[in-house]
Amino acid sequence: MISIFKLNGYFSYYVSININNITGLFMNLLEVRHLIKSFDGLKAVNDVSFSVPEGSVFGLIGRNGAGKTTTIRMMMNIYLPDSGEVILRGSKIGQEFKNKVGYLPEERGLYKKMKVWETLMYFAELKGKTGKNIERKAEEYLKRFDLFDRKLSKMEDLSKGNQQKLQFITTILHDPEFVILDEPFSGLDPVNTNLLKDIILELKRQGKIIIFSTHLMDYAEKMCDHIVMIDHGKVILEGSLSEIKSKYSQKNASLTYDGDISFLKNNPMIEKIENFGNTTGIRLKEENQTQLLLKTLIDNNIIIKKFDANDISLQEIFIELAGNEDNNGSTKKENANA
Amino acid sequence: MLNKRVLTVIKRELREKLISKAFIVMTLIVPGLIFVLLGVQSLLMTSEQKNLKVEIISENQQLTPLIQNELLNSDLSKDKKYIFSFSTLSKDEFKKYLDSQKQNIIDEKLGGIVYIPSSALKDKRIDYYSKSSQNMSLFKDLDGPINKVLIDDYFSSKTLSEEDLSFARTSVDFTGYKVSKEGDIKEEGYGNLILAYLLTFLLYFGIIMIGQMTMQSVIEEKGSKIVEVILSSISPTELMTGKILGAAITGVIQMAIWLSPVILLMSTTIFILPKELLFSISSTVIIYTFINFFIGLLTFIGLFAMLGAIFDNPQDASSGTLPVMMLILIPFFIALSMMENPNRPIALIASYFPFASIIVMPARLTLVGVQVWNLVIATIINIATFIAIFPIAGKIYRVGLLRTGKKPKWSEIIKWLKYNY
Repeated sequence: MISIFKLNGYFSYYVSININNITGLFMNLLEVRHLIKSFDGLKAVNDVSFSVPEGSVFGLIGRNGAGKTTTIRMMMNIYLPDSGEVILRGSKIGQEFKNKVGYLPEERGLYKKMKVWETLMYFAELKGKTGKNIERKAEEYLKRFDLFDRKLSKMEDLSKGNQQKLQFITTILHDPEFVILDEPFSGLDPVNTNLLKDIILELKRQGKIIIFSTHLMDYAEKMCDHIVMIDHGKVILEGSLSEIKSKYSQKNASLTYDGDISFLKNNPMIEKIENFGNTTGIRLKEENQTQLLLKTLIDNNIIIKKFDANDISLQEIFIELAGNEDNNGSTKKENANA
Repeated sequence: MLNKRVLTVIKRELREKLISKAFIVMTLIVPGLIFVLLGVQSLLMTSEQKNLKVEIISENQQLTPLIQNELLNSDLSKDKKYIFSFSTLSKDEFKKYLDSQKQNIIDEKLGGIVYIPSSALKDKRIDYYSKSSQNMSLFKDLDGPINKVLIDDYFSSKTLSEEDLSFARTSVDFTGYKVSKEGDIKEEGYGNLILAYLLTFLLYFGIIMIGQMTMQSVIEEKGSKIVEVILSSISPTELMTGKILGAAITGVIQMAIWLSPVILLMSTTIFILPKELLFSISSTVIIYTFINFFIGLLTFIGLFAMLGAIFDNPQDASSGTLPVMMLILIPFFIALSMMENPNRPIALIASYFPFASIIVMPARLTLVGVQVWNLVIATIINIATFIAIFPIAGKIYRVGLLRTGKKPKWSEIIKWLKYNY
């Protein structure tokens, strides 16, 4: 469901999403089919399949070491899969896909001795982009990121924050159709985190397809339209975020309160209580028991500051599906559309 | 294989390497370094201890003044290389005298004692007593003068003319003539020997220097995590090809700078070299040297790039370079051994042996000359070696690039060849 208030701000984007939602026909632009990759006998990625719909911000989420980076590397043709394939508009990916992608790996760096301008031109040329047009674009980005006066500086002479900005520019300078960001917020200072968020939203408005992996559920929840959740190399959840949340939230409530709710622990209608600091997530055994829960809280003199029925965070969903680190063997794939 | 992306990598490699301080400094320093090395070697060979006290004792009283006269008038005494003293002692007296001088010899107050028994007049056998008994330099120095006295004495009773004696005393004097395939027979100085030395050293330095630079560059790309950004645009094979070609072109430019004085001397008559230093090489040698060097660089740079991808830091890499260094060092020493005798069988084999041919064949070509078809065979062997090694080095490079963690063992690296990367 798309909010009418947002239409003013991002008219073109939301209209297109809305049409897609109405028709229910998200065209699958990029398909990952049954990817398997082992290292030294250990399966890092085990039969991973998902589809990235056109015009979406797609989140590949899971904890560290879940297999996200290996999956992305196979999508980028950096690793060859043991089996499986990645399909772009019906054909297997190749160099053509690489030229259309802007990729920001989790572990990133640039040539220290190379000058800013040379670096930008080099990476653009590797993507097949040269000439006045790309130079003009590079100048625009440098001005926008307050780096224009440093264009002849060596990379090693820039601050870490500025190097991170340069890394973003090299990722998007060649005007890619796809932007793949592997743990994009790791190691970023707050200023650059915001900057990157703005860039992602801007790229989204421009109609780019953005795929990003993260172990930070909060970011994924705020930015993604679709997600695939990976744990121990397997897909455990896939679908549109709104549908996933609506499915999982039916037995859920989030609560902000004053008082002692320990009495709830032994209440037969409660399945699980998760404390997230400021808020507490409560999972009920049956659907539509939220009103009864609210009544129980009031009857026990709990001061309720906020009660949000049918709300669940992505993190709660993840914990429910993947469990803790030592409780992982029995995860099974769920599909929001199922 | 050669596409725009590879050309982009080649351009970057050339720009980075050609203007790097290391390249400029080494290009200028290496020729000087080679001359210094050659100079030090000849200096070590010529510079001997001065004022070495040597006693010459002869059993035959008549020989003593003759030897004294010969040695004191020789350059050995004039240059103060030795301080000679002369005496005559019978065998028994000499034994006692030797006992009394033992401590002086051990304390190096006395360099050595040469004893010439009377029997030497027949069999030319003389004895030398010293702390280090095998003093080749002294044997060589004393051989001429003592031999002359012995010859004079031997023939004095045989009524030979002064002319006959003079002939008998003169040693054999070799003059080298080079017989080439073209049928020319030309007197040749040391020029070609020096050129062979020069080519061997330059090939050795060139391959190691450019190889190490490439290895460092790969380590930098791997260590500073640039490599994954690059691999999102091009394949590892394209990256490796670009890096190898860029580095090999740099190496050839460097070699051209180093060899430009030789080419200049060949192509002009403005500079006149002394007769002893004249060298005769054809343009075939120069062309072959460059083709051979280029193929050699491709092969060895491929191996150095592979090493760079295996290791995470320069310390680990430098200890891991030994196997590749051996492939360069062994042929280098074989090539140097050719300077003494270019027709050694090992040199012949090495000039066609994979890896070794690259360093040995140019030296052989300069010293003995070989036919064009020999060069063609050597080139085919070198190209075949490169073709055989490139996929292996490429695979290890591809696997190693994105691997981090502890230093891998060679047994693990061999397993990488089976990986599906």
